[in-house]
Amino acid sequence: MALADYRSDMESCCRCSACKFIPLEKVTGYARANVCPSISRFEFHSYSGGGRMGFGLGLIHGRVEYTPKTAEVIYNCHLCGACDVSCKYAMEFDVLEPLYAMREECAKHGQSVPVWDGLVAGLAKGAPLVLEPETAEDDWFADLPVADAAERGAAACPSAVLYHAGCLARCTRAAGRTAAAAVTLLARAGLKVAVDKQAESCCGGRAYEMGYRAQALARARENVARFAELGIMELVTGCAHCYQYFKVLYPKLGVEHGLKVFHITEYLWTLVEQGRLSPTRPVKLRVTYHDPCHLGRLSEPWIPWQGVQRMRHMRVYDPPRVLRRGTYGVYEPPRRLLESIPGVRLVEMARSKEYAWCCGAGGGVRETNPEFAAFTAAERLAEAQDTGAEAVVTACPHCVRNLMEPGGLVSAGASAESRIRVYDLVELLGESMSGGA
Amino acid sequence: MVTAEQLRQVVGEENVSDDPAVLAAYASDQSFVSRLSPHYVVRIPSCDAVPELVRLARETRTSLVPVSSGAPHFHGDTVPSAGDAIIVDLSGLKTIDLVDPKERVASAVGAGVTFGELMTAVAEHGLRLNLPLRPRATKSVVGSLLSREPVIMPHYHWDICDPAGSMEVVFGTGDLFRTGAAAGPGTLAEQRAAGGRQKEAAGPSAMSLHRLLQGGQGTMGIVTWASVRCELIPTLEQPCFVASDDLAKLLQAAHWLVRLRLGNELFLMDRVYFAALVAEEGETFLQLAKEAPSWLLFFNLGAYRYLPELRIEGQSADARELLQGLGLEAKPSLAGVSAWEFLEQVRSPSPEPYWKLRLCGGCQDVFFLTTYKKLQGLIDVMRAAVEAAGFSLSRLGIYLQPIVQGTSCHVEFSLFYDRADARESATVRELAIRVIGPLLAGGAFFSRPFGEAARLIMNRDAATVEALKKFKAIVDPDGILNPGKLCF
Amino acid sequence: MTLTKEQYRALAAVVGGEHLSDDPVDLDAWAWRSGQAAMAQDFKPRFEAIVMPACTEEVQALVRLCNKFGLKFKASSTGWGSYCDPGGPGCIMLDLRRMDRILEINEENMYAVVEPYVIHAQLQAELMKRGLCCNVNGAGGNTSALPLAAHEGIGHMSASCGIGERNLLACEWVTPAGEVVRLGSLGSLGEWFCGDGPGPSLRGVMRGNVVPLGGLGVYTKAAVKVYHWPGPPSVELKGCSPHYAPVKLPPHFLLRYLSWPAEEGREAGIRRLGESEICFGVMGFNANMMAANVATNNEEELRLTEEYSKQIVGPGVCLVIAGNSARDFEYKRRVLELIVQETGATSLKAVEEGEVHDAFVWRFIRVTASIRETMRATGVFGGEVFGTDSYLVQSNFIQHSRKDKAELVARGLVYPDNTDPFITSLEQGQLTHSEVLLRWTPDPEVAQAAAEYVAKANRNAVEGHYGLPHHLWGDPQHDFFGPHTCNYTHWLRKIKKAYDPNGVAESTHHITAAE
Repeated sequence: MALADYRSDMESCCRCSACKFIPLEKVTGYARANVCPSISRFEFHSYSGGGRMGFGLGLIHGRVEYTPKTAEVIYNCHLCGACDVSCKYAMEFDVLEPLYAMREECAKHGQSVPVWDGLVAGLAKGAPLVLEPETAEDDWFADLPVADAAERGAAACPSAVLYHAGCLARCTRAAGRTAAAAVTLLARAGLKVAVDKQAESCCGGRAYEMGYRAQALARARENVARFAELGIMELVTGCAHCYQYFKVLYPKLGVEHGLKVFHITEYLWTLVEQGRLSPTRPVKLRVTYHDPCHLGRLSEPWIPWQGVQRMRHMRVYDPPRVLRRGTYGVYEPPRRLLESIPGVRLVEMARSKEYAWCCGAGGGVRETNPEFAAFTAAERLAEAQDTGAEAVVTACPHCVRNLMEPGGLVSAGASAESRIRVYDLVELLGESMSGGA
Repeated sequence: MVTAEQLRQVVGEENVSDDPAVLAAYASDQSFVSRLSPHYVVRIPSCDAVPELVRLARETRTSLVPVSSGAPHFHGDTVPSAGDAIIVDLSGLKTIDLVDPKERVASAVGAGVTFGELMTAVAEHGLRLNLPLRPRATKSVVGSLLSREPVIMPHYHWDICDPAGSMEVVFGTGDLFRTGAAAGPGTLAEQRAAGGRQKEAAGPSAMSLHRLLQGGQGTMGIVTWASVRCELIPTLEQPCFVASDDLAKLLQAAHWLVRLRLGNELFLMDRVYFAALVAEEGETFLQLAKEAPSWLLFFNLGAYRYLPELRIEGQSADARELLQGLGLEAKPSLAGVSAWEFLEQVRSPSPEPYWKLRLCGGCQDVFFLTTYKKLQGLIDVMRAAVEAAGFSLSRLGIYLQPIVQGTSCHVEFSLFYDRADARESATVRELAIRVIGPLLAGGAFFSRPFGEAARLIMNRDAATVEALKKFKAIVDPDGILNPGKLCF
Repeated sequence: MTLTKEQYRALAAVVGGEHLSDDPVDLDAWAWRSGQAAMAQDFKPRFEAIVMPACTEEVQALVRLCNKFGLKFKASSTGWGSYCDPGGPGCIMLDLRRMDRILEINEENMYAVVEPYVIHAQLQAELMKRGLCCNVNGAGGNTSALPLAAHEGIGHMSASCGIGERNLLACEWVTPAGEVVRLGSLGSLGEWFCGDGPGPSLRGVMRGNVVPLGGLGVYTKAAVKVYHWPGPPSVELKGCSPHYAPVKLPPHFLLRYLSWPAEEGREAGIRRLGESEICFGVMGFNANMMAANVATNNEEELRLTEEYSKQIVGPGVCLVIAGNSARDFEYKRRVLELIVQETGATSLKAVEEGEVHDAFVWRFIRVTASIRETMRATGVFGGEVFGTDSYLVQSNFIQHSRKDKAELVARGLVYPDNTDPFITSLEQGQLTHSEVLLRWTPDPEVAQAAAEYVAKANRNAVEGHYGLPHHLWGDPQHDFFGPHTCNYTHWLRKIKKAYDPNGVAESTHHITAAE
C-alpha cells in the first residue's frame, strides 16, 4: 500500500507519546522505560512513531518534501516495531506499516540511500545484501555432510526441509559457523535437511525495508519459484530477518508460497521436546536472552485485510480488521531451548519479548548510520549487563553481529563498552550437544 | 489624609474611633515590634463597606491594617508600620452563611468568627474543624487561615492552605473579588441554588489567589470571609500518648502514623510545652516540666459512621504493632494527665487568659518548617542559643506538628518569659532575632516570617521578593495595605 | 516568519546545533494536531523551531533570547494536549524532553522531585520500590509527573493521593522575563519540602486549578507530594501486550464497579465512600469507560459495552480498596458491603474477580487507561471538562449537559456510547470533579457540532451558575466567562502582563495581556 493509503491510520495518532515508551504497565522504574532507539538517540519528536505519523501526514499533504533531511529522519529508524506494539497496547491503528511506505516513497522521490542503492543493484542476481563480505558464499557448508537441495529426489532431501542460512551466513565467518552448527544439530536429530548450495539467494526483505519494493518483490517471486522447483515443503531459517520475510513479508507482498516457515529455534525446540535432541553437556553460564525484533514482535503472520469503517465514530470495520500487535511472536521456543541446556541460567532483561529494545542492526541502519547502530547496541548491552548475566544470547546473525561489533565500529569480540559475551543460541546448544546426541 | 468624617460616612458614626485607649490597644502587641499608634480604628459593620473604605484610603493615600482577631496579638502584623494608619477591625463580621454536612463545608464564614463560634455552629451539623492547637479564644478562624497556621490533624491537611476554601477579598484597588469556586458565575445565592458551596479554594482558572492572601499579613487584600473545609465528628475515638526520651524514635513513629493515616490529631511536644499547655498554675508547671518524659507523641484514632469499633480495634492493633517495632508503647495517660482530657484541651479554644500567657505573662514564639532529618539539629541550635543568651532551658517549650500529611514539620520554639521583667524581655527579644541566622543555616524554612525577623528572612531569596512585589503592585498599586510588612 | 540566521545562531549557541531544528520535517511532526479536542483543522501552525534545552540555565538563556528577539516560546513536556500547539507564527517550541531526571525521592517526608520529562509510569514504579506512590494523571502514565504539566492533574487515585494543584510543593520557575524563581523552601534553603513562602505563596500566581498552558513561562523542576503504597515493590505480570495481568494481585486489593438505578443512589454511594475513607481510588466511570479499560481493541470494546450495559443499572462508580494491613482491608471490605446494601448498589460481576479484576486494578494504579478510554475509538476526544467544587453542583451540571450530548448522539455526530457523564471524588469526597466526554471523527460537520456543544455547555455553566469549566482556552472563552465570574480575566491579565512584560510566553490557550 502507498503511504496515502495509511492516511486514516496516521490520522488516528493522538500524540500521546505511548510509542516512545515500553507498554506502560511494564515500566519497572526510571531506567529502561524508553522503547524507541530512534527518538532516544535523536531526541526530536520526528524520530518517534508519533512524530513520524505527524510529518508523514505532512508528506501526504505536500507540506513536507522529500529532502535529504527528510530521508535522514526516515532512515534513522530500525523499523523495529516497538513503537507499533506500545501504541497498540491502547490504540487501534498501524504505526509500522506507514513507516515502510514512507521509505518506499522516499526511494521513489530519489531520496534512497546510496550505499543501499549499490547493494540492491546486485539483488536481481541474488547477491547477498551485505557490505564487504568476509568469506566466500559457500564457505559455511564446505566441510559439512549436508545435502544439496538441488540434487533432486528423496535421497537428497527426504524431509523436503530446506535450511535457508541467509546472507550473513554466506558472507561472515561468525554467522557461517552458526549456520554450520544449526545443520549439524538438525543432522544429529536425524533430520535430513538440505541446503540450496548453489542458488541460495537473498530473501530480499531488507531491500523492502529500505524502500526498494519492486526489487524485493521480484526477488521474492524468484525465490518462491526456486522453492517450488526444489519441491520444498518446509523452510527453516537461521536468520530472524529471513524468517520474518518469508513468513510475513512475502504474503504481505502477495507472494504466496504455501510453505511452512520455521525459525531454527522453533525447529530445535520441537526436536528437544520430542526427545530427538538432548542437550546434556553442562554449559555453566548466566545468560540473558535478546529477542530479535523479526523473530519476536514482528513475526506474527500477515493478516490480509481490506474493508470499510462501519461506524462513523469508531475505528471498527467491515469485515473486522485484526491488527498485528506483537502478542504472538516467537518468544517461548528460544527461552525453552535455553532452559533445556544444563547449567544455563536465564535472567530476563528489563525490556523483553514484545517490548524488547532493538539490537541496532535493523532498518538498514548498520549500513546507513553505524554510529546510531552502535548507540542502540550499546544501550542493549548495558541493559544485558544490568542483569548480571555473563552472556547475551540471541537468535539472529544480524543481532549477534551488531551486539558483538556495534555498528561495525568495533573490530572484534564484545564491544569496548561491554564485557558481556554474545552468542547465538544455536552455538550454545551445539556446545551442550558436543560429544553425543 | 483621611478624616474621621469621611470614614464615618463609609462605616457609620459608631464604627470609627480615635479614642486613645482604643488606639493604644493596636499600637503594640505581644511581639517586640516598634510601638506605633494608628490614627483611627474602624470597625467594619458589613462586608459591603470594605470596598468603599479601600477606595477612600486609596484616594487619601491612607494605610490600612486589617485585623480579624481580638487581642492579644502576637506577631506584630497588626501593629502599624506606617504613620497615620487605620486599623480595619473585621472582628464584627460574624456571619456564617451556610453549613453543609453533606459537602463538609462551612461556607462564607465572616472574618470575625472565632474558633469557638464556628466549632459550635458546625458541630450542630455533625462537623468539626481542623484547627490549630488550642487557639486563643479571640482568634478568628479566617485570620488563622490567612496566617497558614499549622493544624493538629495532619491526616486531613492535604495542602498547606487547608482548611481554607473560597474567599472574598477586597484588593488595594478597591475591587472586590472572590477566589476559588465562589468567583462565579452568579451571586453566592445563585451558586448555592445550583448546588455550589464555594468550597474549592483554587482558581478561578490559572490562578489561585487565596495562596497569595495567605501569608500576606494583610498586605495583599482585606479578606472579609472564607469558606472552611470541615471534617466529620467521629463516632468513636481513642486518644493516647507515646512518651520517650528518644525524639528520633518518636519522629519515626509519627512519620508512619501519618503515612498510614492512623490517627487524626497527631503532634509531638517536649515536656515544657506539655507542662505549659496543661498546667493551670506554676507549681504544676514546674513539676511537669521537670518530671514528665522528655518528649511525647500524641495521637488520636477516630472512627465514623460504619463499624466504628472494628475500625478502632484494627487501627489500634496496627498502631500497636508499629510502635512495638520501635520499642514504643501507647498509653492512655501521661504524668497524671489523661489522653481524653488532653484531647479536649488541645482541640478547644483556650479559656482566658490564653494558655501561652497564663504562667509567665509573656511568650515569644520562633517557628519555621523543616524536614524530620534536620529537626534534631535545629533543636540543638535553639537550645544552644537559649543557653548562650542566659535564658532558662526550662522555659523553652518545643512543639512539633507534622503538616501537609507529613511532607514537612512545623517547629515552634516557645519562650515563656516574664513580660514585666524588662531585662528578661530584652534577652528574649535579642535571642529571638539572633537565633534566626543559625536556624536558617541549619535548615529552617521560615515560611511565615513576622515582625523584626521578616526582612532578614525575605532577603535570603531576592528572586521571590521581586516576584512577590510584581503581584503586590497589581493588587495594591498604591501600597496602602499594611505597608512595612514582609518585603513591602 | 522564519528564524533569521542571527536568531538561529543565538539559539544554537545555547543548546548546541544538534538540539535545534527548523526543518519542516521536525516542525510538522509537532504540527499534526493532538487528538485532544481536535477539530477540523488537521495541522496546527508550525513552530519556527524546535529547541531542546537540557537544564534550567539553558531554558533561562533561551527565554532571554526570546525577549531580545521578540520571539514567542512555548514549553512542553510530553506535548500531548492540543494546548501545546502555537496559535500562529513567530513561536519556538522548548521541547523539554532532555530534562528527564528524578532528582530526589524523600521517603521520610514523602515527596519526589522531578524534571518535566519524567513520566508518571517511571515515577510510580520508582516510588513503589520505596513503598510510596503518586497520583497518576487521569491522562495516563505516559504524561509528565511534574505537577505543573497536566492541565488539571486529577487522576484515578485522587481520592487518596490528591490532585496536581494541591500536591505541588517547591518548584523552579523560569518566568517569561527570564528570571529564575525558586518557590518556598527551595529559594531560601535549596530544599524541596515546601512551596509556600516566605510570606504569600507564588504557587497562586503560577497556576490555579488549571495551569497557564505555557503562557506564564517554564516550570523546570518541581516537588510533588507522594503517598503510602500498600502493595509490594513490584508486581510480576503475565501475558503479552495488550493482554497483561498480574500473576498474583498484591494482597489486600479489591476493585468493584457499582451502579445505582438513579443519580441519587450514586450520590449517596460516593458520599459514603468518601466519608468512610475506605477507597484508594474512585472514578465515576460509565459502562463504556469500564469496557474500554478492559477491552484490548475496539471490537471488543463494543461487545463489552453492550455486555456491561445490560448489567449496569444506572449511574456508577469504579472503586479500588487497598488495605494497609489485613485488618485494615477487612474493615474496608465490610464497610463497602454495608454501603452497597444501604444504597442498593449493583456490582458488575464481570470485573469482580479473576484476571479481569486483577488486571483492572493494576492498570488503574500503574497506567490509568485513559488512552484506551478516550482515544482508541477515533483518535480524538473532547467534550466539557468541568470544574471542581461540591458534589451537588458538579452533578447538577453534568445532568444538565448530558441532554445536549444525547442530542449529538441522536444526530450521529459523536460516538454513541449512550452512557452517563463522568464524575469523580477527590480527597475522600472533599471535592468533586465532573466531565461530559465526547469522541468523534473530526470532519467539518462534526467539528462544528462539537464546538457548538462546548459553547452550549459553557452557556449552561453561566446561566445555571454552575461554575467555571477547567477547559477554557484562550481569550474568547475567558472573555465569555470573565464578566460573570468576578472579572477574573482582569486579574489573570494583570498577572500575565506583570510577569511577561514583552508577551513572549505564547498564550493562545492561556490569556493574553490585551484587555
